[in-house]
Amino acid sequence: MKFQKELKDSIRKALPELDVVIGWCGSFDPLHATPHFIRREEDIEKLEIGPLSVHNLATYLPGLRGKKVGIVVKGCDSRSVIELLQEKLIARDDITIFGFPCTGVVDQAKIKKALGYVGNVESCDMSDKSVVIVAAGKAHSLELSDVLADKCHSCRYPDAIISDIFVGDKSGEAVPAPADYEALATFENLSLPDRFGFWLKELDRCIRCYACRSACPLCVCRDHCAAESREPHWLSQENNVRDKLMFQVIHAYHLAGRCTECGECQRACPVDIPVLMLKQKMNKEIRDIFKYEAGVDPEETPPLLSFKMEEENITEKDW
Amino acid sequence: MALVKYLKSTDLKSWLAELAQENRVFAPRYEGEAVIFAPFDPEQEIFIKYAATAPPKKTVFPQSERLVDFMYSKDPEDLSRIKIEAQEVLPQGTAVVFGGRPCDVRGFTMFDRVYMAEEATDIYYKARRDNTSFITLACDATENTCFCHWVNSSPSDPTGSDVLAIPVEGGFLLKAVSDRGETLLTSQLLSAGENRVEEGERVCKEVADSLSQAPDLANSPKKLLEVFDNIEFWQDVSAKCLSCGTCTYLCPTCYCFNITDETQGMKGSRIRSWDNCMSALFTMEASGHNPRPTKAHRLKNRVGHKFSYYPDLHDGVISCCGCGRCIKSCPAGVDIREIVLKAIAFEPTVVEG
Amino acid sequence: MPVLEGKELRIVGFLCNWCSYGGADTAGVGRFKQPTDLRIIKVPCSGRIDPLFVVKALMNGADGVLVSGCHPRDCHYAEGNFYARRRLEIMHKFLPILGYEPGRFEYTWVSASEGQRWQQVVTSFTEQIHKLGPAPKILGPEASDTLGLMQAAL
Repeated sequence: MKFQKELKDSIRKALPELDVVIGWCGSFDPLHATPHFIRREEDIEKLEIGPLSVHNLATYLPGLRGKKVGIVVKGCDSRSVIELLQEKLIARDDITIFGFPCTGVVDQAKIKKALGYVGNVESCDMSDKSVVIVAAGKAHSLELSDVLADKCHSCRYPDAIISDIFVGDKSGEAVPAPADYEALATFENLSLPDRFGFWLKELDRCIRCYACRSACPLCVCRDHCAAESREPHWLSQENNVRDKLMFQVIHAYHLAGRCTECGECQRACPVDIPVLMLKQKMNKEIRDIFKYEAGVDPEETPPLLSFKMEEENITEKDW
Repeated sequence: MALVKYLKSTDLKSWLAELAQENRVFAPRYEGEAVIFAPFDPEQEIFIKYAATAPPKKTVFPQSERLVDFMYSKDPEDLSRIKIEAQEVLPQGTAVVFGGRPCDVRGFTMFDRVYMAEEATDIYYKARRDNTSFITLACDATENTCFCHWVNSSPSDPTGSDVLAIPVEGGFLLKAVSDRGETLLTSQLLSAGENRVEEGERVCKEVADSLSQAPDLANSPKKLLEVFDNIEFWQDVSAKCLSCGTCTYLCPTCYCFNITDETQGMKGSRIRSWDNCMSALFTMEASGHNPRPTKAHRLKNRVGHKFSYYPDLHDGVISCCGCGRCIKSCPAGVDIREIVLKAIAFEPTVVEG
Repeated sequence: MPVLEGKELRIVGFLCNWCSYGGADTAGVGRFKQPTDLRIIKVPCSGRIDPLFVVKALMNGADGVLVSGCHPRDCHYAEGNFYARRRLEIMHKFLPILGYEPGRFEYTWVSASEGQRWQQVVTSFTEQIHKLGPAPKILGPEASDTLGLMQAAL
């Protein structure tokens, strides 16, 4: 990435005033990156940004309250930062935001599907258009666009919406939204019993690790989650598909009007349950009723935290 | 010499179907984009191309299990008097687990030292453990996250298994490891395997050789204790941890549990379910005090338990089987190998004066 | 109960203390005939109703859920029902993705004096639920417990 050096320089300049700067660096194999916490000058060199920078680092911000934190954000991540600011869960003065023009990040699940097996990746070369992965001695060449995360294909904010320091050239034009929620629309063509069966079947393999929740930048209850509360007793500890599904509904509803669809819930799931779709459904309805999109304007109030005496788009049942 | 047999790949399902007549049989299955252990179903494909996403831990130590069913009843003579009837629920039947990897199955030997110790035996665990046989699949390839050889094991380690299945040309070489394993190898579908033993040994050796040099972890119990009070060290290595339970729930050696009563109306069950030390509630005391208040304390416990406290109590055995699932499936890429090596390499800076 | 066995469905109602519960009371005092499927849970205000109560009720075996509060601008706590309206509307629109018919859940406003309106709401909602029949149920801890029976029913 051409702006990587510029980014490192600006982090170097800002670091003396900050406790930590969060970015990404290489991980256990060439196909993965991992969040990188830069505290010392010598940590800066390891910083790497590119299509493997999948993690939404905004997740760490509420846990670092009171510290001076620098954070590198993709466009989508910046929306989570905005949402956290809106809800006053972080203080604007405490954070320094480093933005860059994002060109999309990969979906590891798609790479896994394309290669069949990603356990022994030896190298991974990414260019603007393609990915060449060598695994078990064999080279696989993929189109980058085929393995980009779904959210990147319909991304409208490739540049951080909010930033203190922006490196590289802004992509300028806002990417027009395509006919969105296509997958959701396809799903909603299924019959109701099929939808019900789908969720039971998918949630059956949930191990209740709650990675979906822990990776979510807006799940800010942290140690006080409804999932583990005994009083009120929302969920039992039984290995029960009902409780597993109920938790996903709780998660989706608690994110209503707040979720920016960063997709971390689904990415974090160790058993690949398509949990993002529930949040997309919630967002679609929020957008239709309240004409609202989360994480765009720090001054706005999320729709479920306000009301109008006369609601333009709510038609109540006529008895 | 132990009993050896040969099974053609094409006969695998028929063989499992035979075993399923007398036992509950579990085998890995591809579901969604994950590989999980599920009850054997002849209609579904068995997936053994690579190790399962979740180990077969649940076959002996279920995600949740009923320990006791109870029922309240009111005395009709005196409604203020409530009687409780309780009924113990012991696991029934026998099971066979096909397709676990050597690391997965060796994990149960770490459980055994705790749940089947001389001083106290866990009857629920023992009932399943005694009645579950493992037909373990030796690995024909290793992954970047594999480190079984760091913890005194290998991709064809038969420890804890009853039968070791080694992938050979056209099928599997089945080696009985225990007496119970021998009784599993009586099917007409199996043919003599002696002539393939050499090929099997070669496969095992090739895979073992493909692993890089393992570091010496003999020091880990001592070195981890040395950094026990060094909170900066732990804050540093846990910074990216998200405090979810993926690592513990996918771990073949994590055996912690929670016990809760789940009641509906006048009936209920006392259940035991997986718990994980990454959760803040794990150590939350009734007073509100939490001895492990931050993720740094919690991750310290996870690493320390496996590589220091457990070996100190159990003849130096490290309570990690090196399967690498905690690394591979961690949403934030926390690498336990890196933490252990960092602790071993850690030299305290001497403050002068 | 046994005389109605198989004839009744299970409908849960969440009613606010100040208006709708009073309205139901008025209907009772006025001896307005009502179907008997509804079981009422009284809450302080429709703003107290977490829409997740609706999902929890459905997943635990309810066939329908009815929420009723004070009319807008009439809330005992001034604005509880304004917040409730937004939340409940969202849940109403969300339910179908889980496989529940949207009509399994309705929310409305009934004041303490509207005994007749209450009668009408209960009667029409109960009819609506009977038309839909029993809601999909989760029949056991594992998905296969439910899916097997669902397939058999089809």
